[in-house]
Amino acid sequence: MATRADLPAPTESPRPSPQGRPITEWDELVDLQQRTVSPRVFTDSDVYQAEQERIFARCWLYVAHDSQIPRPGDFVTNYMGEEPVIVCRDAEGRVRVFINSCRHRGMRLCRLDAGNTRMFQCPYHGWTYDVQGRLVGVPQYHEAYYGELKREEWGLLEVPRVESYRGFIFASLAEAGESLDAYLGEMKWYLDIVLNRTAAGWGMLPGVHKWSVKGNWKLAAEQFGGDNYHVTVGHESMVRLGLVPPGKTSGDEPWVRDFQVRTDKGHGWINLSIADPPAITEVTGAYQARVQIEARHRLQPAQSALVGCTYVGTVFPNCSLLSFAGFLTVRLWQPRGPKRIEVWSWGMVEREAPPAVVELARKMQILTFSPSGIFEQDDGEMWGESVEAMGGVYRRRFPLNYQMGAGYGRRDPEKPGLIHPPSTEIGVFGFYEQWRALMSGEMGAHT
Amino acid sequence: MSAVELRLEFEDLLYYEAWLLDHDRLEEWLALCAEQVRYWAPVRANVPRGAEDWARPHMLAHFDEDKGSLALRVQRIRTGVAHADEPPARVRHLVTNVRVLDGDDEAATVTSNFIVFKNRRGREECLFVGCREDRWRRIDGAWKLEERLIILDHDVTENITVLF
Repeated sequence: MATRADLPAPTESPRPSPQGRPITEWDELVDLQQRTVSPRVFTDSDVYQAEQERIFARCWLYVAHDSQIPRPGDFVTNYMGEEPVIVCRDAEGRVRVFINSCRHRGMRLCRLDAGNTRMFQCPYHGWTYDVQGRLVGVPQYHEAYYGELKREEWGLLEVPRVESYRGFIFASLAEAGESLDAYLGEMKWYLDIVLNRTAAGWGMLPGVHKWSVKGNWKLAAEQFGGDNYHVTVGHESMVRLGLVPPGKTSGDEPWVRDFQVRTDKGHGWINLSIADPPAITEVTGAYQARVQIEARHRLQPAQSALVGCTYVGTVFPNCSLLSFAGFLTVRLWQPRGPKRIEVWSWGMVEREAPPAVVELARKMQILTFSPSGIFEQDDGEMWGESVEAMGGVYRRRFPLNYQMGAGYGRRDPEKPGLIHPPSTEIGVFGFYEQWRALMSGEMGAHT
Repeated sequence: MSAVELRLEFEDLLYYEAWLLDHDRLEEWLALCAEQVRYWAPVRANVPRGAEDWARPHMLAHFDEDKGSLALRVQRIRTGVAHADEPPARVRHLVTNVRVLDGDDEAATVTSNFIVFKNRRGREECLFVGCREDRWRRIDGAWKLEERLIILDHDVTENITVLF
C-alpha cells in the first residue's frame, strides 16, 4: 500500500490561500472547490512517477479482448502502464497475465505482438516457462546449478488479479481490492448499450494501430471521457467539410439522447444522437435495424433507446472507446513519460455483422480515428502542444479551468450517474476527482 | 519501349509526383490517381519471420483510400484549419530503388523506396521510411495510379499527416 512517505516532495512550500485556507499539495494540483487542475499534473516527472505506483499499479487496466486469445496457448503482449505483460490463455483455458520479464536477468521474455505457444523461452540464457507461468526448463540445471535451484520459486511474476467484463479482459497489479464489476460500477450500464446489445457480441479486426504522440496520457483520457466542447473548433476542418453538424453542441435531444455522464469511479461517457449520413446507412441500415430489434429484447428500455447513437467514453484511467459512423474502436493511452503517449487502438466489429458492414467500419475507422485520421490528427496536435506550452515555470503557477457545468448536473431516474447535456466538464472533472483521491491516498489501496 | 526507357519514364514520373507532394500541389497529385484508385498502407506487426500477412481480410491499415477519401483529405488541408498541418510542415520525399516489373506501354508494376522527412516548429520532426508497390495504367495517353501499396517500416508511427 502506498503511504504518505511515498508522496512526491512538494516543489513549493504550502502557503495560505487568499481565503486563509491552507493549501496542501493535492489542493494545489487538483482544487476540488475551484474545480481547477495544475499544469504540473500534466508535465511534472515526479507526478508521473507517482502515477505509475498509485494509478497504474492499483487500478483495473484493460489488457486484451477474449477474441484475441480464443485457444489455449494463444497470447498477446501489451503494457499495464509501463509494465510489459503477456496476456495468455493457459492449457486449462484460464486467462493469465504475466510480467513479460524473465526472472533470471529481467530480459523481455516474449518479443512478439501475438501468437500461440506451449512455452516461453527466454532468448538470453534459455530459462523456459509454460503457459501456467511455471519455470519448467533451466539450461545446465545439474551442471551449473548442481540441481539446487528451487525452480518452483522462480516462476513468472503473475499479475495477481484478472477479470473480464463481456469479453473485455482487465488486470490489476494490486493483490486485493474491489472486483472489476464494482470498479466499473455505473459505467457498466452505458458499456452494455454497446457490448450487450447482441448475443453474438464483438470481435477484433486483425492489426493494431500504434502511434506515438506528444502529450500527457490524461489529456487524451479526459477528452474521450467527457470533452465534447472541443469538437466544433478542434475539428473545425470537419465542420467546414460537413462531417460534423455546425453550431450548437447540445444536440437535438438534450438530456434524453444528447448528454454526458459523470459516473462513479472516475469513468465518463458522451452520448450523442448524431445520425449517420446516408452514405453509411445505405450500407449499414438493414443490419442496424436487426441490431435495434435484438437490443430491445436484451437491454432495458432506457438503454435500447440509445442504441445507434455516437458514443465516446473512458474507463478510468487509460482505456477509451469510441463508436461513430459504424465502427467501434477500443484504445489504450499508454503512458511514456509525462509528455509522451503511445496510442494502441483496436478496431472491433460485431461478430454477426455482414462483410460489407465490417469493411465500411474498418475504412471509416482508418479515415477518421487512426494515425492518419482526419479527426485524430487534430487531437494529437492539441495534446502535444498543450504539454509543451503549459509547463514553463511561470505558466505552471496558474491552474487550468474545469468549471464548465459545475452544479448543473442532474440525476435521471432511468440512467445512472450525473448527467448533463453536451457540453459540460462535470465528467472530465470527475476523472480528476478520482485521480486526486487515488494519488493523495484519500482512497485506500483496496478501493 | 525498351526496359531502360520504361524505367527512365517511371523515374521521371515518380520524381514529378514527389515534387507535387513536397510543393503543396495536392490537387495535381490527386489528378495522377485513376478514378478507381486503391491507396493503402497496412499496419505492421512483430511476428515470426515470414508470418506477416497484410493482405488478411479486414486488416487494419494506416490508409485504405479510394479517390473520394483522398480528395476529402486534400479538401481538409484546404480549409486552412486542419490544425495538425497548420502552419504546414516542411516535407521532403526522397524516392529511390525504382524498378519496373511486368511493364509495357499500357500498364506497369513499379516498386520504389522512400524516405519522407517532416519538420515543423522545431521539435516536431520525423522520418517515414518504406517502400511502395504501384500499379500504373495508361489512360487517355497519360499514366494514372491504379493501386499503391505502401509498406511502412514502422510498427509504431507518428501522427501521419503526409501522403506517400
